[in-house]
Amino acid sequence: MSLAGLAERLRVGELSPREATASYLERIERANPHLNAYITVRAEEALAEAESAPRGALYGVPLAVKDVIDVAGTPTTAASRILADNVPQHDADCVARLRAAGAVILGKLNTHEFAFGATTTSPRFGPARNPWSTDRICGGSSGGSGAAAAADLAAGTLGTDTAGSIRIPACFCGVTGLRPSTGLVSNDGVVPVSWTFDAVGPIARSAEDCSLLLEAIAPRYRPEEGGVRGLRIGVVEALFERANPDVAAVASMALDELSALGVRLERTKAPLLEQAATILQAVMLPEAAQAHLGWLRTRLEDYGADVRARLLAGLLLPSTAHVTGQRARRWYCDGLRRLFDRFDLLAAPEMPIVAPSIGEQTVEVNAKSIPYRLCLMPFNSPWTLAGLPVLSVPCGFVQGLPVGLALVGRRFHDATVLRTGRAFQEAMDWHERRPTLAFDADGKASYTRG
Amino acid sequence: MGAKSSSLDLLRQLAARQGVFPTDEDLEAVLPFLEAIVPALEELERTLPPGTAPAEVSQS
Repeated sequence: MSLAGLAERLRVGELSPREATASYLERIERANPHLNAYITVRAEEALAEAESAPRGALYGVPLAVKDVIDVAGTPTTAASRILADNVPQHDADCVARLRAAGAVILGKLNTHEFAFGATTTSPRFGPARNPWSTDRICGGSSGGSGAAAAADLAAGTLGTDTAGSIRIPACFCGVTGLRPSTGLVSNDGVVPVSWTFDAVGPIARSAEDCSLLLEAIAPRYRPEEGGVRGLRIGVVEALFERANPDVAAVASMALDELSALGVRLERTKAPLLEQAATILQAVMLPEAAQAHLGWLRTRLEDYGADVRARLLAGLLLPSTAHVTGQRARRWYCDGLRRLFDRFDLLAAPEMPIVAPSIGEQTVEVNAKSIPYRLCLMPFNSPWTLAGLPVLSVPCGFVQGLPVGLALVGRRFHDATVLRTGRAFQEAMDWHERRPTLAFDADGKASYTRG
Repeated sequence: MGAKSSSLDLLRQLAARQGVFPTDEDLEAVLPFLEAIVPALEELERTLPPGTAPAEVSQS
């Protein structure tokens, strides 16, 4: 059931918060051993909190948050050995707002270590597994959030996105994820990666559900009603060409559907697409190294190898790198602003591929074998650099695995992005497709593609 | 071999000056990152319009 539908049932009393919470906890208990979506389940606390949930917009709705977001009294591990004993005393701002709206927090979701990578294969807690094919990654870093939303192990989730970490798992897991405009949602109480780029946002089944979650956590956000007729969408041609042809074809069909809804499509070029990944890394890597400097000095050996290498790269870049990156970011943003004089939104495949297998370091893109981490950058870095809102909506399947379409809006025009996603999802039902969860005689869960 | 060894020595010294002490294996893992990004940054510096001021952290 959608978050919106569940919230309505709870509001009218068809279901109590305790019943809803117990139902999700039962599902988590049976399915999580297969998916590893949760790091911590707050079973007793959630049931107790369900009894006294405030009567707000999310009254009694069971949610879960990525394990870099503080929930008072529950460990925030960031999926790392380093924070194994870290128990925050206060809720993150976004969690406090969810609770004030009546939500119940079921637990903390798996993540790439310190949200600094895109596979969610923590050396401490193990990989989150994709419900569509459990030998494949969920993407990351909010991989547990994507898996939990796809497998209905929470009515909705929060993730964080620095360089694609909401959009990629939403895409790979066949759910809807919004990276909000940078600065729209408070990062207070969230383990940082990069002060320039970090953003907290929702991953849920639909754009409507994401909008409800965003309303709760972003005081400045106001949803928009209405259709999309007359909206101008720039189709980022280069990213369609760079994606695998079968993925690009699925995303193109989604554009056809938007066109049928009255959107005006025009092919376009985005500025500095080739440089975007370099600019992003020049800013992000030194900021991450700075955020981790204390632990780099005292706990270096406790990081997973990939995160340790990235943090050391940030430490060892020339001291001018960050300034060069911020100068180039201004240059880039100026170019992108001119593009948005012509368009209300941009569109591209969210990722050029479907979810790779766990442990796969290189992927095939357009018949070339390239490192996974490099293939995702051109599709995610450009929009991050300018702090733009990006919605990944499911738009079809390739080899039985989900494909996502990225809708990119002007900064702080998150409502337009969500309105467009909602209109698409009212016309198409890709977001309703679910992997089938089945239980054997011993009560163990397995997933088959629905 | 000699060039790689001297690169690792340089990186080790830079890290040590910041109070961080990576192993040779750590530094060998970092080297490909730096070998990719540093030339790309140099190219970026060459193409940046002169007089472009840095964006602020909260700026887009």
